[in-house]
Amino acid sequence: MTFLAPWLAASAAAIAVPLLVLLYFLKLRRREMPISSTLLWKRAVQDLQVNAPFQHLRKNLLLLLQVLVLIAGLLALSGPVLLRDGSPAKRYVLLIDRSASMNATDVLPSRLEVAKDEAGKLVATMRTPSALSLASRADEAMVVAFDEHARVMCNFTSDKRQLLSAIAAITPGDGGTRIDEAILMAKAFGSAPGEAANARGSGVQAQLELFSDGRLGDAAAHRDEAGASSRPAADAAISLQEGELAFHAIGSGGQNVGVTAMQARRGYENPQEVEVYATVANFGTDLVTCDAQLSLDGAIQSVQSVQLPPTANDQPGVLSLTFALEMPTGGVLELRCLPKSSQNFLGSDDAAWAVLPPPRNLAVCLVTDGNGPLLSALKACPLERLEVKSPAEFDAIDFGSLPPEKGYDVIVLDRHAPAKLPRGRFVVFGSPPAASGATATGSLENQVVLDWHSNHPILQYVNMANLFAAKAYKLSLPADSSVLAEFASAPALALVRNQGSLFLLAPFDCLETNWPFEPSFVMFCYNALGFLSLDGTQTGQLALPVGAPFSLEGLPTQARGVVTGPGATTAVQVNASGILRFPGTGRVGVYRLELANLPATTFAVNLLSAQESDIKPATRLAVGNQQVLAQAAQQKGNLELWPWLILLGLVGILLEWWVYSRKLRL
Amino acid sequence: MTQKFTNLAELLGREFLARLDGLDVLTRRILQGRLQGERRSKRRGQSVEFAEHRPYALGDDMRFVDWNTYARLEQLFLKLFLEEQDLTVHVLLDVSGSTQQGQPSKSLAMLRLAAALSYVALVNNNRLTVSAFADGLLGQVANLRGRVSVQRLSAFLLNLDSGGSSDFDKACRQLEAGRVGSGVTVVISDFLFKEGYQEGLKRLSGPRYDLFALQLLSPQELSPDLTGDLRLRDVEDSDLAEVTISRALLDYYKRNVAAYCNELSAFCTRRGSGYMLARSDEPTQGLVLNALRRKGLLQ
Repeated sequence: MTFLAPWLAASAAAIAVPLLVLLYFLKLRRREMPISSTLLWKRAVQDLQVNAPFQHLRKNLLLLLQVLVLIAGLLALSGPVLLRDGSPAKRYVLLIDRSASMNATDVLPSRLEVAKDEAGKLVATMRTPSALSLASRADEAMVVAFDEHARVMCNFTSDKRQLLSAIAAITPGDGGTRIDEAILMAKAFGSAPGEAANARGSGVQAQLELFSDGRLGDAAAHRDEAGASSRPAADAAISLQEGELAFHAIGSGGQNVGVTAMQARRGYENPQEVEVYATVANFGTDLVTCDAQLSLDGAIQSVQSVQLPPTANDQPGVLSLTFALEMPTGGVLELRCLPKSSQNFLGSDDAAWAVLPPPRNLAVCLVTDGNGPLLSALKACPLERLEVKSPAEFDAIDFGSLPPEKGYDVIVLDRHAPAKLPRGRFVVFGSPPAASGATATGSLENQVVLDWHSNHPILQYVNMANLFAAKAYKLSLPADSSVLAEFASAPALALVRNQGSLFLLAPFDCLETNWPFEPSFVMFCYNALGFLSLDGTQTGQLALPVGAPFSLEGLPTQARGVVTGPGATTAVQVNASGILRFPGTGRVGVYRLELANLPATTFAVNLLSAQESDIKPATRLAVGNQQVLAQAAQQKGNLELWPWLILLGLVGILLEWWVYSRKLRL
Repeated sequence: MTQKFTNLAELLGREFLARLDGLDVLTRRILQGRLQGERRSKRRGQSVEFAEHRPYALGDDMRFVDWNTYARLEQLFLKLFLEEQDLTVHVLLDVSGSTQQGQPSKSLAMLRLAAALSYVALVNNNRLTVSAFADGLLGQVANLRGRVSVQRLSAFLLNLDSGGSSDFDKACRQLEAGRVGSGVTVVISDFLFKEGYQEGLKRLSGPRYDLFALQLLSPQELSPDLTGDLRLRDVEDSDLAEVTISRALLDYYKRNVAAYCNELSAFCTRRGSGYMLARSDEPTQGLVLNALRRKGLLQ
């Protein structure tokens, strides 16, 4: 046990105890009582004093009780704290999980609030740097809130008020959980002196206090006995010492049903028909009957009553759902899971949204002197309008005066690099135009593609292994470009963003390659047009995971607007490059971006994470090289003893009153 | 206190008064009063009760010669008779401030006792003197005799004012100075005198007078029901005693009270006087009819 402010109590005791005794003997307010004669009383007092000089102190129960009450009060003032972990660290890092699973209400009001309470209790038991206490024993703490990213809420300080306000400022999120970043950040800060470092420098190892339900994406082993073998390599860099991390498990577990996957897409043959695929999972141990309700812009379109099997072998009961509906216009699709049982502790995963723009085909302009294979490939794509123009015709177009309905979604430049280009999206075969920011620094011959990003939307289902280029340009790309495919020493395909325009550069003449003879060429054209068009870019952009930033390009520079999300409205502004980035997608739901003089853009943020939907709290974590067990509830933190001492004092006062009233003090 | 009663019957009750008629004050001495009373005295004199014969001596009154004996024996003998004399009863009543304390009040109990004893003395044709004392004698009604004096007695007793400090020795000196004859002196008091009771009692317990000390204390004085930190104020001299009541202190106090009473009792026994301790909550009727008879003051 230790005391938070021992000198304060000692000083108060040095004053109060003698004062009480002095007051008791010297300043008694005696009740005056008339009697027949003081003769016998004085004799009795004399006898008492002669025979028992310390009779007052020995037998005066009331004085003893008063001293007891005073001692209890003074001890409470000294702030006694029982250090139940036995190894008090002087620097704490409070890691508070704010991921989606911490919104579960299996413990009231929510896991995050309980975690904040627990952290607050730990802060309350820290030794304070009072002038009357041992200044060198003042504890410090920092607060880190984390979901998929860690955020320092408060650097090392011993100011409890600051720490508590930092803890209170932690807001719930709907994101996933990664602890490695939080621990790395905590260790980085932990080795640096804090605000009130005074004599203690970075040599003091910080004690990491993790307040979480253990549903950590990168710290497996909550139910995996294999432990370290199942951990991803991400936290291999984390090196913890024995006992450095204390895990305060939050939550008791319970039933939860959630949507773990959802996708909506228009049919290729019939764009007006939308198919919605979803996966609903039951993470509880009971069979759950629920209604899966599909709504379009708030109007219920379809309801399926399904039965979700219980968890078996640590695998949730999963059910796939398919909906089909006619959707000639755009809108927001919402799939909501409505369990019929009352227990469903996590609300963030009960719904998922998909934003579908209205069906729209592209207007494409092919600028070429003649390229049959390319023209054929483009004609194979479902386009609204395909115009073929020679380089001279294209250069003659005044894009400033072109009406919107005559504009192009994508311009394909085949071996033509005009000096001036409007803002837009381009597929370039051959030498890159100056507007792209990329330059051709040389030429290459007889190149084959060595590597390509097959998971990129443009290269989806595109096999480039057989591509052979007899001649190609050697590209020098701007810094923020992304290379999609590579020759031996130069990019084969690159995606370049420059001044609000987007260029897909293929630094070769497709007629000097064997690509037109490959099936992948048509696939590439289809994917490229889809990706570059507004339609294509928004498809990926309009459904985001929690925490992923929303970005939109090709907007008027410096345009101002607002993003209205679930429970919050944020003012935004387009940057000088015509790009809008909105990072505040921390909660699930539908967001609406409204910019001046532009139609509103709607996008959805979904949880769709089985890891977060499984709210069974973990009791064991594998973090770095350590297996960390959850601390038992009674061993959490330190125990403040002052309430018990105040209670003892109150009992003493009651006892004193009772003794007085029952005349037991006689 | 006394204003509530207008006569002795009201103070003591008629039934009690009627029972008092059958009592008399008892003395162990053969008394020599000034008037012929109803009590045998040591003096031989004229009465109807024969005492003895003695040979005639020169100068004897020839009227007491027993001529019948002379006729048989031819010697002169005097026939002696016991002369009956009256008894003087002094009742010394404490009316100092300390008697007002206690629950029930000691002063009322003392007044009842004094009234009862005085009444007994009067109805038996004794010579009665009732004195009230505090700081010396405050009042006295003297030489009452017979039922006709009951009115004077009650007028005196029921109009007594109590209060003030006490000086027992001074009162005894004053009483002793005015006391003549022989008889019984009854002192009714709490005997809580700081200057002591010994000198005063010595004065009163002369060879001609029987002395009876009747100590009357309240229940609170015998067994205090006090608690807390107190400043005890003496009602007579305003002397202060600051005490913190504890069980030990109360034990010592009770021991002191018992020792004080025992000391008074022993003192009276040594002087040949009677003593009785009474509580103010005891019924006066029981004290008079039972306790005082057992103690030999009344018969």
